[in-house]
Amino acid sequence: MNILEVRNLHVSVMNKPILRGLELHLKPGEVHAIMGPNGSGKSTLANVLAGRGDYQVTAGEILYQGQELLSMAPEDRARAGLFLAFQNPVEIPGVSNVRLLKEAFNAHQRYRRLPEMDAMAFRAYLNERTKSLELSEDWLLRPVNAGFSGGEKKRNELLQMMVLEPHLAILDEIDSGLDIDALAKVAAGINALRDTKRSMLLITHYPRLLEQVPPDKVHVLIGGQIVLCGGLDLAGQLEERGYGWLF
Amino acid sequence: MNTAMNAYQDHFVEHAMQLPGFDSVSVRVSRQEAMQRFMQSGFPTQRLENWKHTSVTALWKRAYKPSEPGCMGLDPDDITPYLADRRGVYRLVFVNGLFSRPLSDLHDLPVGVRVASMAQLVNDSPCEVEPYLGNHTPGNDQGFSDLNHALWGDGAFVHLPSGTRLEKPLHLLYLSTISREPMVAMPRNVVVAGTDAHAQIVESYASLGQARHFTNAHTTLVLGEKARVRHLLLLQESLVAHHVGTMRATQMGDSCLDSQLFSMGGELTRQELHVTLAGERAECSLDGLFIAGGGQHMDFHTSMHHTSPDTWSRQLYKGVLDGNARGVFNGVVRVPPGIHHTRSNQTSANLLLSDTAEIDTKPQLEINTDAVQCSHGATVGSLDPEALFYLQSRGLNVTSARLLLIKGFAEEVLQRVKPTLLQAWVGQSLNLGVKQS
Repeated sequence: MNILEVRNLHVSVMNKPILRGLELHLKPGEVHAIMGPNGSGKSTLANVLAGRGDYQVTAGEILYQGQELLSMAPEDRARAGLFLAFQNPVEIPGVSNVRLLKEAFNAHQRYRRLPEMDAMAFRAYLNERTKSLELSEDWLLRPVNAGFSGGEKKRNELLQMMVLEPHLAILDEIDSGLDIDALAKVAAGINALRDTKRSMLLITHYPRLLEQVPPDKVHVLIGGQIVLCGGLDLAGQLEERGYGWLF
Repeated sequence: MNTAMNAYQDHFVEHAMQLPGFDSVSVRVSRQEAMQRFMQSGFPTQRLENWKHTSVTALWKRAYKPSEPGCMGLDPDDITPYLADRRGVYRLVFVNGLFSRPLSDLHDLPVGVRVASMAQLVNDSPCEVEPYLGNHTPGNDQGFSDLNHALWGDGAFVHLPSGTRLEKPLHLLYLSTISREPMVAMPRNVVVAGTDAHAQIVESYASLGQARHFTNAHTTLVLGEKARVRHLLLLQESLVAHHVGTMRATQMGDSCLDSQLFSMGGELTRQELHVTLAGERAECSLDGLFIAGGGQHMDFHTSMHHTSPDTWSRQLYKGVLDGNARGVFNGVVRVPPGIHHTRSNQTSANLLLSDTAEIDTKPQLEINTDAVQCSHGATVGSLDPEALFYLQSRGLNVTSARLLLIKGFAEEVLQRVKPTLLQAWVGQSLNLGVKQS
């Protein structure tokens, strides 16, 4: 069974059609990349999958693990293992990373009818992950994304993903604003989470991320539709030739 | 209004001999003068600029009776929920405005430090307290202070001689119980910190159950040179209680006052904080967090007078309002001519959780001199939908996400409470506050 089936998806934002008949199928363990020019609908797809309001789905359907996704509340999607790494992660002053991670993790545990982890065990679970991302010691005590640099925000998204261990991760421009070293760390983090069951959707403008996290498929999204599908070499072609030849 | 005023005057006349300090001429005169001023000004009305957002009609219409001794009978377990800690804190407990010795705990108090019931002290040793009871601030909006000064029944007297340190916080707990007739308690507190004395004072007001009562409190703080005082004021009375309180602080040179206020209770709450920075390099911070829901009305007035050069003050007041709650914040910073090199900052931030909640916020600067650095600002907003979605996308339901954001908003003020023991205690009380609203 596919973990994600997007069929003939039409989505409008303030009555303006953005996605027009998008098709996408992801198998468990697959990593797909979505590339496309600005305004082609990449982030709209990510947001609709995560359940953000303000998007009108006018036609089509989305199945996640065989279940109708669009009727699920955002928090239920998250608990069922769908994770969106935000393009622009929100700053939340006054709420520490550890507090958010604990609440989120325990919400997932309760949903899966698993016991909540005690404070000591959870701290150890977190430390393992902050270490592998080479995050500073005070990271967990800092308020969520408040005063973080662009690169730090992206790494924080990755930390949340590592803690919540989703089945399907949608990474919306996780590579934007990262220098080469930071990108390598983020890529290593993503690769560490790759396994035969976990699927990922990488939304990106640049082939550099894809060179380090080789996808199984690359889709080109233009004008709200997938117009071309290929392997990693397609990303290279786009880097050389741009999108003009596809219109 | 006259009926209510006359009732207080009748009580004053009938019970004059039982009021603490009757044998001291200066205390007696001070009470009489305060009563006269009260009878002239009455309760403040909304025609007064400082009261325009707050009506006290409901307060004087409820015929409150001054409390009388003999209605106590609480045992230590009853007060446990209202205590920060059983052992790590000195405490003076007042029930319905009157000192309760069995519930208080002052042992191991450092030598020389005086912590006592004001009523007992003014009867036994009036000369110790007389110097602090005579002063009053003129003004036609001082009705509640005047009423307190005329009728106060007890309170805490704290005196820290030069160089003394209170290692443990001192908790002044004012607890009101359910009574057949609605009662008023009028505590009068005086805290004097001598040169280089250090103390942490917690002043908290609470009710047992849904007691309908009125607290009209007045607290005077005097900080000598280099004195350092942390003052934590916790207002968590019942949702049908009325509370009016005034804190007046005077600071000598190089002294430092940190005041934090947390307000969650009361149907009608009005708290004033007036600070005079009377010595060079005196520093003061006033922080406040109020959480109001339902039909609660909370009004906070601060005034910061920089009467000496090189003084510093900072204020941060945050409000969280839900339901039909109404909040008021009015803060004035005054720097008279010729007072140079003062620095002052004032911030009011407010979170409205419903369409029907309201806040009136007015930070004011009255600067009449040059060479100062003063700034102020006010914000009013609602919960950020982007932040809510972000938290939902991590698996939190809407209720938990809202609660986490509200806690995050409150955290900045909570972080300023020291030590950790008190911070954790206040944090727990706040959770309740958020649930209520």
